[in-house]
Amino acid sequence: MKARNGGLLILAAALVVGSVWLGSRREGAEFAGSDGQAMQTVAAIQPDYQPWFGWVWEPPPEIASGLFALQAALGAGILGYYLGFKRGQAQGRRKRSDAGD
Amino acid sequence: MHIAEGFLPPLHAAGWTAAALPFVIVSAWRVNRLMRDQPQTKLLLAAAGAFAFVISALKLPSVTGSCSHATGTGLGAILFGPAVMALLGTIVLVFQALLLAHGGITTLGANVFSMAIVGPWIAYGVLRGAQGLNAPLAVSVFLAAMLGDLATYTMTAGQLALAFPDPASGIAGSFVKFLSVFAPTQLPLAVVEGLLTVVIVNFLREYSGDELQILKFPSPTVAVEARS
Repeated sequence: MKARNGGLLILAAALVVGSVWLGSRREGAEFAGSDGQAMQTVAAIQPDYQPWFGWVWEPPPEIASGLFALQAALGAGILGYYLGFKRGQAQGRRKRSDAGD
Repeated sequence: MHIAEGFLPPLHAAGWTAAALPFVIVSAWRVNRLMRDQPQTKLLLAAAGAFAFVISALKLPSVTGSCSHATGTGLGAILFGPAVMALLGTIVLVFQALLLAHGGITTLGANVFSMAIVGPWIAYGVLRGAQGLNAPLAVSVFLAAMLGDLATYTMTAGQLALAFPDPASGIAGSFVKFLSVFAPTQLPLAVVEGLLTVVIVNFLREYSGDELQILKFPSPTVAVEARS
């Protein structure tokens, strides 16, 4: 499992790195969000459309990046806790059965 | 796939909210019952939600020179069934709408419908279908997560096309336009999401046999090991 998962993770990382490399060779590549591009497409199709409701709160850019990091950290923290906990549990079981309990 | 705040006309916003609401209510009821009947799986459910949380926070670059993010809802859908993911996905989207100005409250229904309902159901359906065709589990899981991710973005393109039909080519023409914004960027990211989901499932088959057995997740080898 370990070697296989390692290979899959390297493949995933290579895809992301390769994407940056290929993407930045394109002219005008700014790595803008596709969500934002879709909203620009709305403006292109219906130039007179005005969003009728604004964000309840829009964080300043620095705070937004912190909150994005917080979201990722919360997710990675809980996920990592679970994975570590299960691995330790399995190792504990193995040790006990080695001791002959 | 986040439709920005106010970017759906009121009628559409209300319609998608009404469509998503019953799924979220049923989901809350399902999660509640899961906690009561199978409390051993509580931690795994939190981990599946956490996976969606971290994956949907990461804006990844794509070959098109734009960025997008995966959804991470396929993992929970194949482990716990698609109904459970409506609630977890809604929690993610509310967090982003209120704190990150990402998505919105008026478009929450539409975004929940694409990311927390359509994506998970497609992922679950693909897993069942691939397993029915006797595909190896890793291949089934990969396809489920990847196609669930793509289905979410296809749904978003459909929602935008319905709200903003092209003056010349109508809803279909508009759908092609929105899909051509999302699909090329999303494709490599969907592959990444598929790979990461397989990594997690591989880990679960090795170390979480007891939980997978309770959930009857297709993993015969682990189930045998856990019994012996």
